[in-house]
Amino acid sequence: MSRSAKPPTAPPRPDQAFISVRGLTLRFPVYGYDAKSLKKHLARVAVGGRLDQARHGSTTVTAITGLDLELRAGDRLGLIGHNGSGKTTLLRALSGAYEPDEGQIEVRGKIAPLLDLSLGIDPTATGLENIRLRGRIAGLSARQVEEKLDEIAGFTGLGPFLAMPLKTYSAGMQARLAFAVATAVDADVLLMDEWIAVGDADFQKIAHQRLLGLVERAGILVLASHDLDLIRLYCNKVMRMDAGVGSEVVSIKALDELLARPSVR
Amino acid sequence: MDIAEHMLRTGSRGFRDDLARAVDDLSRSVKGLGLSWSLAWHDVVSRYRGSILGPFWITLSMAVMVLGIGFLYAELQNIPLATTLPFVALGIVFWGLISQTVIEGCESFVQASGMLSQTSLPMLTFVWRTVLRNLAALLHHLVIVVGVIAGFGLWRTMDLPLALAGVGLVLVNVSWMCLLTAIISARFRDIPQIVMSIMQFSMFMTPVFWQPGERVGLMDVVLTWNPFFHMLDAIRAPLMGVAPEASTFSILVVMALAGWAVAFGLFTATRRRIVHYL
Repeated sequence: MSRSAKPPTAPPRPDQAFISVRGLTLRFPVYGYDAKSLKKHLARVAVGGRLDQARHGSTTVTAITGLDLELRAGDRLGLIGHNGSGKTTLLRALSGAYEPDEGQIEVRGKIAPLLDLSLGIDPTATGLENIRLRGRIAGLSARQVEEKLDEIAGFTGLGPFLAMPLKTYSAGMQARLAFAVATAVDADVLLMDEWIAVGDADFQKIAHQRLLGLVERAGILVLASHDLDLIRLYCNKVMRMDAGVGSEVVSIKALDELLARPSVR
Repeated sequence: MDIAEHMLRTGSRGFRDDLARAVDDLSRSVKGLGLSWSLAWHDVVSRYRGSILGPFWITLSMAVMVLGIGFLYAELQNIPLATTLPFVALGIVFWGLISQTVIEGCESFVQASGMLSQTSLPMLTFVWRTVLRNLAALLHHLVIVVGVIAGFGLWRTMDLPLALAGVGLVLVNVSWMCLLTAIISARFRDIPQIVMSIMQFSMFMTPVFWQPGERVGLMDVVLTWNPFFHMLDAIRAPLMGVAPEASTFSILVVMALAGWAVAFGLFTATRRRIVHYL
């Protein structure tokens, strides 16, 4: 997919991007450490179902139940909800990592999942190597990475440190680098999970600018956060999740009303 | 907008649909082979960072083993050194390719759990990564291969195209083994240990060091039913200027087809859940 030839003359029109989720149900089989041992698995077969399946078989957690979501270009959806309400799971499902158990997910447009800044980051490699590797994972071709290298390197503000291994960086420096690479892709659909504030005050200001630019370029943003100010800052729509059940999507103006509702459960 | 930028994920619609998805994963992973190579090369570079010889350390230790075992077995089996040394050298190098790929195959998905759980990268990308990483290692060890070919004048008698065909068939075969161990190891964490034991056992059951004598009795059974013997022989025999057994290449082709059918069938059946195993 990284090599897929995209004619440079006709960039995808971001207004075509859409997300359509219908009746999405996601269940996670949780394989206890017990169940992960082959010996126990074989032993269980040998005993022949005498043991209680609930005690030894895999347990299933339903992370998302019957969720519907329609987003068009220009929508910036804030996901709110308690810990474990399924926000991150929904983002991962939208990124294409999880297959639905029921229902369907349809996404048109290039997806940039910015869920984990440390994805594909190797602490023993130098800053530049990490930029290249992370860029490749994000779906850029080797040539595209080289084209963007200067811009990304400039944005990190790390200068000569880019030739040093990442393990010599402070946490803030690492975050700068990871942020710079993660946000270097041109995406139509941007998925973000609660990590917007990185680095020192100066960097936060630049980072904020860059994110605004990215959000403006991207057709659709889905942002999961507990920080309501952040949601108000970036989003124009909001959805609340409770125990894997999503509310309807409402305008950001109705955020307070949405919060005041009793839990769906 | 091109097709790669459209994603449709649905609940299972039966085996045929799952198979189509698995094939789609395969074709996307092949189109993105450059990414697999980047990851594989990064693995090689980062594994040996700060060391002067880098991957050549493995080459060096192989060379030492070749010399030691070559001399010892020449003495033990009473065979001239000029035959034993290239035999052992080629045996150790290509056995390394086969066994390392299968052993490291176990980690293919487990190691990539971060990427698999938050991107839509094709899963097979990480199988190719393991195979290509071992191919990169092999490129370093070619020093030994070229050394014995030049040193013992094998180039006069060798059949290089046939040997390359052998390498290709072996790669196709280790790839399905790699996929198979990757899936099963993601589910059951004991598998890497088992695979390691099997590969170690197979090393002694396969004529890596020792010359197969006449194919009678137990020897015939061991050689005929040992898939690794055929894999190794398909590369080594042509390089040694010996015709491999007539059945060797057909066995490898059948093994490749059957192995891929099984491994790909398992991949089709488990693909949705692999990310949850991790």
